[in-house]
Amino acid sequence: MDLVLQLLFTGIGIGAVYALVALGFVLIFRATNVVNFAQGEFSMVAAYLMVVCAVDLELPYWLSFIIALAGMAVIGAIFNLGVYYPLRHRTYLPVIIATIGASILMANGVLALYGPQPQVLPGWFETPGIQLGPVYLDSQYLLIIVVTIALVIFNYWFFEHTMIGKKLQATSQDKEMASLLGISVSTMIMVTFIYSAVLGGLAGLLVAPILFVSIQMGSTIALKAFAATIIGGFGDVTGAIIGGLALGIIETFGAAYISVPYKDGFAFLVLVLFLVFRPQGIFGERVAEKA
Amino acid sequence: MPLLEINDLNVRYGEIVALRGVSFNVEEGQVVTLLGANGAGKSTTLRAISGLAKPASGDILFDGKSIAGLGPEAIVRMGISHVPEGRRVFPGLTVKENIMLGGSNRKASKAELSGEADAMFDLFPDIRKFSGALGWTLSGGQLQMVAVARGLMAKPRLLLLDEPSLGLAPVIVQAVFRIITEIRLSTTVLLVEQNARMGLSVADQGYVLETGRIVLGGKPEDLWANEAIAAAYLGGHGKPAAGLAAH
Repeated sequence: MDLVLQLLFTGIGIGAVYALVALGFVLIFRATNVVNFAQGEFSMVAAYLMVVCAVDLELPYWLSFIIALAGMAVIGAIFNLGVYYPLRHRTYLPVIIATIGASILMANGVLALYGPQPQVLPGWFETPGIQLGPVYLDSQYLLIIVVTIALVIFNYWFFEHTMIGKKLQATSQDKEMASLLGISVSTMIMVTFIYSAVLGGLAGLLVAPILFVSIQMGSTIALKAFAATIIGGFGDVTGAIIGGLALGIIETFGAAYISVPYKDGFAFLVLVLFLVFRPQGIFGERVAEKA
Repeated sequence: MPLLEINDLNVRYGEIVALRGVSFNVEEGQVVTLLGANGAGKSTTLRAISGLAKPASGDILFDGKSIAGLGPEAIVRMGISHVPEGRRVFPGLTVKENIMLGGSNRKASKAELSGEADAMFDLFPDIRKFSGALGWTLSGGQLQMVAVARGLMAKPRLLLLDEPSLGLAPVIVQAVFRIITEIRLSTTVLLVEQNARMGLSVADQGYVLETGRIVLGGKPEDLWANEAIAAAYLGGHGKPAAGLAAH
């Protein structure tokens, strides 16, 4: 039982990272009807920004964190202007290919600037963790969970209780109608890209002390987050969060009870099972919203 | 000076010519109705005015200023609100949220928009109880009410209404037109209708479009008096007298 609780804690922690990246996928998908294949690279680039600031320049950890997130906001804006905006009147295919191109550019850009050696980023806290009854709570996992909970609450407040959230929803449901009401569609899409880049970046900053900071970390996280969005139901915010958490828990338990080397395999096995038996995901695609 | 002045307007969709040399005026305080069959260019005219369709040539003057070629966001800020064909109520937002978003062309706080939306229910009492319901759960008539209420939230000087009666039961159509008679007290309306009888009943001026051209225009009673037009568009089918009697 103690092991189960311990694994559950770890699973939720790693799942929260997938959930944050998945949320970015869903928000961009809803606003533009396109899957952003560079979403994972946002996490990777943010982690490298953090390494540059906190390790190389030895800035305070909190300041580095803010700089890295601000950097991601800028990258999100550039990404929108350079990748999505010029192709916005085309079909989804050129846009998807452009996002794949952008992800290759970001990965190789970082490789050229920083080299192939994985970097180590220390965690936020000096204390490694606390013992709570039978469960050892690693401080970094704890931080991930707390930040994710805060973000989910913020996300709900932002989309349900602010006019800009309502305008973002309106834009994702019917762009032409939104523009007829005087909503600036291009501004709304810009906000979506910035927000998604910051979310992806935040996931990268949170998970970096657990993994190594490497060029490949983006694609690994993105694949899991993509699986999480499919499991949750594409286009559904709640689904992305539940899907991310479920995936984190499944792979943690799979690794502990069945096989460590096949850890990543479990995530994709679940993905395949969902694609075969419930392709619309746990929450289904809310058809009504897309009508 | 007319509120809206359309001069020799041409609109194309690729190779297809949707409007050829359309010219007409809308005077402030009037209701002007555009009649015509499917594909005659009625909706295209409204789309060109609100900025959804770019004119190939010709000019559109609103309050004396050219708006041809401006984007829809800029045009609605100038005071032209377009309630498009098919209602286009946001399905995943509530009725009240839909109506509040109608004020997006103005600088208004969330609290102000909320208060104005509540006041809007006085004009549309039938949808008040659906205030918190999501758009996709409503019936056609309720959606039309929401769409018009949302259009009025822009506080427009000119309201463009595209086929408000389409697909509605007769009793609902009458309710919608009762609302138009209330709207016209404060707002100029350019109405597109297939239901010519209803469309002309509220109009000061009517125009008949045929394959992208205006073929006839005048006061409703003059249009009723034109036998060919009455037979073709005014539901007469050889019984123009019935139409005249109804007036």
